[in-house]
Amino acid sequence: MKLEALAPPREADFTSRLRSPAVAARVGVWLGICFVIAFVTGLISHEAHVTHPFVGFPTRPVWLYRWTQALHVASGTAAIPLLLVKLWSVFPKLFARPPRRITELAVESLERGSIAVLVGAAIFQLASGVANTAQWYPWGFHFRATHYAMAWIALGALAVHVAVKLPLIRSVLGSPIESAEHDRPSTAESGPLDRRTLVRGSLLAAGVAVLATAGSAVPVLRRVSVFGVRSGGGPGGVPINKSARAADVVAAALSPSYRLTVRHGARSVELSRADLEGLRQRTGVLPIACVEGWSANGTWDGVRLRDLLDLVGAPRGRDVRFTSLQQHGPYKVTTLPSQFADDPLTLVALGLDGEKLALDHGYPCRLIAPDRPGVLQTKWLDQVEVL
Amino acid sequence: MRATRVLLGAAGVAIAAYGVSLLLDLGFANLRATLEWLVGGVLLHDAVLAPLTIVVGAVFVRARRAGLRIAPLVIGGVVLASVSIAAIPVLGRFGERADNATLLDRNYLVGWLVFAGVTVAVSLVLLVRGRQRP
Repeated sequence: MKLEALAPPREADFTSRLRSPAVAARVGVWLGICFVIAFVTGLISHEAHVTHPFVGFPTRPVWLYRWTQALHVASGTAAIPLLLVKLWSVFPKLFARPPRRITELAVESLERGSIAVLVGAAIFQLASGVANTAQWYPWGFHFRATHYAMAWIALGALAVHVAVKLPLIRSVLGSPIESAEHDRPSTAESGPLDRRTLVRGSLLAAGVAVLATAGSAVPVLRRVSVFGVRSGGGPGGVPINKSARAADVVAAALSPSYRLTVRHGARSVELSRADLEGLRQRTGVLPIACVEGWSANGTWDGVRLRDLLDLVGAPRGRDVRFTSLQQHGPYKVTTLPSQFADDPLTLVALGLDGEKLALDHGYPCRLIAPDRPGVLQTKWLDQVEVL
Repeated sequence: MRATRVLLGAAGVAIAAYGVSLLLDLGFANLRATLEWLVGGVLLHDAVLAPLTIVVGAVFVRARRAGLRIAPLVIGGVVLASVSIAAIPVLGRFGERADNATLLDRNYLVGWLVFAGVTVAVSLVLLVRGRQRP
């Protein structure tokens, strides 16, 4: 082997006409759209999760969170092929010779630094996001908080990148795609396909990636979503995130001495499952929609939460704290904002799909409220406390 | 356009700085684990994936020089490779749990074979039709 074969490539070694600003800018526009959609829907999900959101989260439409989160995961999934093609099209720039003049070097170092942050954050967001949809956590960071922080870094680096490249982007998008005007000098190879075909091909790949996974949230796609993480199986047609065994609640949930405590200040009532069944029952169709992007509609039976709150004389407009029988986990205790607590659709559910609530769905009883992330629909309820 | 660029750049720096502050709030251990993945992702792309595409690209270029109109194969390859990468977490079943049959409840290997078979078949049909045309 010759020694120069071991040397890193130079920018001029890349001769394909496809590795051009014409391709990078066009794929980049779609990639940017995907990132902005993912960012906005991610902010919505963050608002839905935090106890004291910037703006109160709405209770209607009941499917809002279901669809914003499906859109979040779909736009992130679509971004994977687009990011790969985009990085491929600009890869030669990695080996560009640095300028000799110190001021130019400083400017270029800054620009390269911002691109390193953008590429790193983009790969980080897509890799951690797609692993999270399959409940795979091979890392040591807190997923939700870190994915949220990194989203701001990615968006900020994207804005800087667009600001730096804006004249080039405008000029490239204003020229025909096959124009050689903005090409690197070394691009001579005509290649096996034209640029338009490559851009369309990467959009096709993005569409296929979405179709192959979106069945977890869109029931009509279940048959074609060969990589969907959920197929709608589970008791009552609703999948499960955490089983009763994993939550270590089997004995407590099945105990004959089980009582649900409802408390408002000094007033409290203790209700057995039979007591709950003796109260006025309601039926409602509400989705379980998880942060991982999957969702399913269920027909829930149970007691209206507001009726329980009336038993202890709780006024309207109060947040309510739910405690689960589970001994550990970040969602053992959750707070339900007042607009959900007072909503007539919010139930303490005893049944699903005409049957007794399955143990893995939260037997003896669980919270089900409209337009809420699944992890906050607390299962195996132990206490309901008016704040 | 200059004002737009300055505004956009300044906004970008502020937004990213807010993200950095959020990240720092999560503590040192979290930061270290994050940086490992941040750098690891870039290295995995630049040192493994990108060189692989150069090798595959060289094969396509040779085929093109031999006079073959292989655009459908290239696009088929882009679809197959990128969607397969997106499917790594389900194909590996890394998040599988014995107590939860509703999670990862498909045979993803069969799904991948079907997906790959359809992609290759469509590419080949388009390739043959392209060659028949004058």
